[in-house]
Amino acid sequence: MKTKALVIIIAVVLAISLAASAILYFGGERKTANIYVDGKLYRSIDLAAVTEAQTFTVETERGRNVIEVERGRIRVSEADCPDRVCMRSGWLSEGDIPIVCLPHGLVIRLSSGGEVDSVSR
Amino acid sequence: MRRSAAIIAVLIMLLTVSSCANSEKTAEFFAMDTYMSVKAYGGGDAVDEAEALVFELERKLSITDGLSEISAVNEAGSAQVSQETAELVASALGLCELSGGALDISVYPVTRAWGFTAGEYRVPQEAELEKLLRLVDYTKVKVSGDTVSLGEGMLIDLGAVAKGYAGDRVTELLRSHGVKSAIINLGGNVQCLGRKPDGSRWKIGVQDPAGSGYVGVIEAEDEAVITSGGYERFFVEDGKTYWHIIDPSDGRPADSGLISVTVVGKSGLACDGLSTALFVMGKEKAAGLWRENGGFEAAFVTENGDIIITEGLSGRFTTSGGRKVSEVIRRDEN
Repeated sequence: MKTKALVIIIAVVLAISLAASAILYFGGERKTANIYVDGKLYRSIDLAAVTEAQTFTVETERGRNVIEVERGRIRVSEADCPDRVCMRSGWLSEGDIPIVCLPHGLVIRLSSGGEVDSVSR
Repeated sequence: MRRSAAIIAVLIMLLTVSSCANSEKTAEFFAMDTYMSVKAYGGGDAVDEAEALVFELERKLSITDGLSEISAVNEAGSAQVSQETAELVASALGLCELSGGALDISVYPVTRAWGFTAGEYRVPQEAELEKLLRLVDYTKVKVSGDTVSLGEGMLIDLGAVAKGYAGDRVTELLRSHGVKSAIINLGGNVQCLGRKPDGSRWKIGVQDPAGSGYVGVIEAEDEAVITSGGYERFFVEDGKTYWHIIDPSDGRPADSGLISVTVVGKSGLACDGLSTALFVMGKEKAAGLWRENGGFEAAFVTENGDIIITEGLSGRFTTSGGRKVSEVIRRDEN
């Protein structure tokens, strides 16, 4: 009887700590990346929920951008725009400075940047 | 029990209603060669009108649109423009004078020679720059009524003030629609209307000119927060970096020891023009201009990574990432 109670207590403590670490790990706030093309929302990705890296292509008549997603971050890995500013921006994982591909009208930004409301640059 | 449930239900309904009245709406678009967003609380479709307004201003002021009013002036050397454009040119000339020519809207032939307009970058020869510099003189730009005229061969570009001015106009438009709270970002030029809906001040990050984060955060209300930096547009040739902010005195990228200047003040137009002017002037001259005129505050980042602020920003500029303010410029020298 005593061992059974002990097992239950240990199980409960384990479950609680697991749940707590899961919450801490995935974060109370979801980190969503929104991809816009010409100002219209093209696709929304919950970066915190990404389990394995993936890539996909955004193709319009203006050109194409290959977008790579990993847990917690997103980037443009390939593009056929002339300046490649979007590729050189690198990984976007925090803040509200979007990745912008001006020639293709593509914007990737995180919703709820958190600490700031806007960025002056 | 039932009564309290009813009270709670009514409270929830009231909350829902008030959040509707204060609903957030954002317009995002590309204009003036950059990405823009206008977010307003309340005001219904005012943000869509704001977007239309920015496009209208772009059509008047663009240097690359051959049909713009500025292009008409540049092509003919003199042209009649709308009253709005005439007034904007006059205001811009006022800033050129205030800065002693550190800002010069007629530096465009030089900027173009460096390829910053078309994106075909090159380093012009000394002789070419000398020749083009003879065309640079804002005092030869005249505004008379609605007519803007230039000296022989001159070209003007309002790029250094157009976004700031657009921010002023957008703010004004939103305010006339009863908006009490809005945040506008026109290609990195931030303008805020009122405070945040929760009553706190807006937190505006200042881009780290040497990295991807912020050097600090400025708390602002009813103000423009506008930054000019060498990182915005540049090219590298033979290991040397050349950026788009040209010093009108020698026709070369400004080399004043600063890599970013942020100006905070009521007028977006003035902040925009001043951020460029102070970048060209360098810290000492910029401090002098601030002491003599006031009406704005500024934060500087030097090429050594030092952060310097004017005293009006102390208390509302918080550095990020363990950085420290290395100097506060005071009104009374020492």
